[in-house]
Amino acid sequence: MNTDTTITAEAARERKLRRQRVRRVGRHAILLAWMSVVVFPIFWMISTSFKDAGEWVAWPPHWLPNQPTLLNYAQIFAFGALDPTLSRQATEQAFTIWKGLGDATLVCTTASLLALLLGTFLAYAISRFKVGGKYFRHTILMIRMIPPIVVAISILIYYAIIIPYATTALLSVRISLFDTYVGLVLIYAVTTLPFVIWMMLTFIDEVPYTLEHAARLMGAGRIAVIRRIVLPLVASGMVVTFLFVFILNWAEFLLALTLTHPEVTTLTVLLNKFQSAAEGRLYGPQAAIGTIVTIPVVVLGLLIQKHLVKGFSFGTIRK
Amino acid sequence: MADTSTSFAIPAPDANRRSAGRFARWLASEPVFRLIPFLLVEGLFVLIIVVPFALTIWISLLKWRANRPFETARFAGLENYEAVLTNDQFWLALGRTFYFAGVAVALELIIGFVLAMLVSRCTRSRQLYTTIFLVPMMIVPIVVGYNFSMIYIDSGPLNQILAPFLERFGIDPRIRWLSHPIAAQWGIIIADVWQWTSLTFLIFLSGFAALPRQLVNAARVMGASPWQTFWRIELPLLKPAIVIAVIIRSMEALKLFDPVVLLTFGGPGTSTQTVAYFLWEQVWVFNKFSFGAAASILLLVIFSILIFFGVYMLISQRRTVEGGAP
Repeated sequence: MNTDTTITAEAARERKLRRQRVRRVGRHAILLAWMSVVVFPIFWMISTSFKDAGEWVAWPPHWLPNQPTLLNYAQIFAFGALDPTLSRQATEQAFTIWKGLGDATLVCTTASLLALLLGTFLAYAISRFKVGGKYFRHTILMIRMIPPIVVAISILIYYAIIIPYATTALLSVRISLFDTYVGLVLIYAVTTLPFVIWMMLTFIDEVPYTLEHAARLMGAGRIAVIRRIVLPLVASGMVVTFLFVFILNWAEFLLALTLTHPEVTTLTVLLNKFQSAAEGRLYGPQAAIGTIVTIPVVVLGLLIQKHLVKGFSFGTIRK
Repeated sequence: MADTSTSFAIPAPDANRRSAGRFARWLASEPVFRLIPFLLVEGLFVLIIVVPFALTIWISLLKWRANRPFETARFAGLENYEAVLTNDQFWLALGRTFYFAGVAVALELIIGFVLAMLVSRCTRSRQLYTTIFLVPMMIVPIVVGYNFSMIYIDSGPLNQILAPFLERFGIDPRIRWLSHPIAAQWGIIIADVWQWTSLTFLIFLSGFAALPRQLVNAARVMGASPWQTFWRIELPLLKPAIVIAVIIRSMEALKLFDPVVLLTFGGPGTSTQTVAYFLWEQVWVFNKFSFGAAASILLLVIFSILIFFGVYMLISQRRTVEGGAP
């Protein structure tokens, strides 16, 4: 009798353990399957970027390049005129990455810094003085939700037609913001300001007001309080916000495509130019550019991984 | 709490430093601190968003194409609006956008939820899974479009994987997926799901992490089956996260543009034209500026309703989260 119960208890425990093991294996099987789905397109791009022209569209496709080559990278990083080994069909237009890389870095950095500066001060004012009323933060949020194509049409009309028309009539100088760094920086700063304000609000709200109070009572001026107390406490938040906004600007395509041509070229627009090349697509150099575009944002993104949810969900989710 | 700034007298900090300029003191005063950032940001918004929109409304009332001089434009009243409202392609593109967004967001929610649930039960491998699942979100959308265009081409890996099955039925495995209307539509949806499931996964993962352990454990101790615990306890507690994921993803999915340009250029025919792509083509390819202006105003009106609804839902969710949290 006694042994019987221990046996059944043991059997039950064993059954439970086995069920747990089966469940664990099933769980990992599903997760690994999705992992391969996630990794595959990225793997394919990196693999293609090392393939030579003959292997881009070979059938059956080669999962790994038979003869790995750096020609694609050499081509996109080439300076000046392409030497004969690098020039393939449709590449005589010198699709080098330097202009796009420089423009993208310049525009994204300037726009992100501008948005960060304005947004942080406004977030401070909203947090401390309730500027703009109770629902101001939500009003700002709406700006981000407007579809960019709607903005793009009105901005195009504004930059390319109204401003030149008005300045010619009033100042007799033709000023156009279309296809200029200033124009792109302004629109990028405006479209990312809502994100900056939201993220900085969550960081500034966390700084206890009593701290500032104490400093004020001890005779520190308002500027000193901000410089010595608030800024050091939110500095890491500002870095996170800057990186987040930088990633958004770096990935932006529609506004860059519609508001610039041919002078200012960001990387996303450059990648698209290959797509519409009339002589056939250059899969290899495209893959190389894609890899180069992806690396910095994935690295930055992994650095601020913990804060991503704050940015993408406008701080509506609490930790 | 923030209102206390004016509720008591602060001793003048620079009483013994008379040399401090009046300008510097004025600059550090409270009204300036309240107003300057507000005015700067609002000024920028007015200059870059409001003024262009006002001008867009004006342009939408003119009859004018960009290849003619601006002076030749004539007032046309509501002609452009009539042209948009009677344009079948506009309505089809709008419907298609909602269809894409609906299917994609539904798939993203389901997959993201299941993944978050499974990952939240892992212990050791959790960090690894989370890191890898979040990568698609950080990849530039245009690169995602390019990646999938490589996968869908007739000699791509997708056809290679399917080849053994297809050859058994005597079908040539080198299918051009993006040349078939329905396959192309699903191609775009799959690319969107691939990229943005990571966001819903992230939202749900933080939702699962915030679940009060005691409640779940208490239910289990009282004899609830895992199924009951899930439906009666975990799911209701996750409702705010679900609402937020739905709103944020739908708002973004309705803007769908980048993968369409990279994968199909709206084709074959017009089967993958989203409303953003349709407008882009009308204005940037056909130069129909006043048509585009009228359409964008109409689109803004349609979207404003959705945006108001979405922001209202976000505010009410935030309130319940803040009010209900212990």
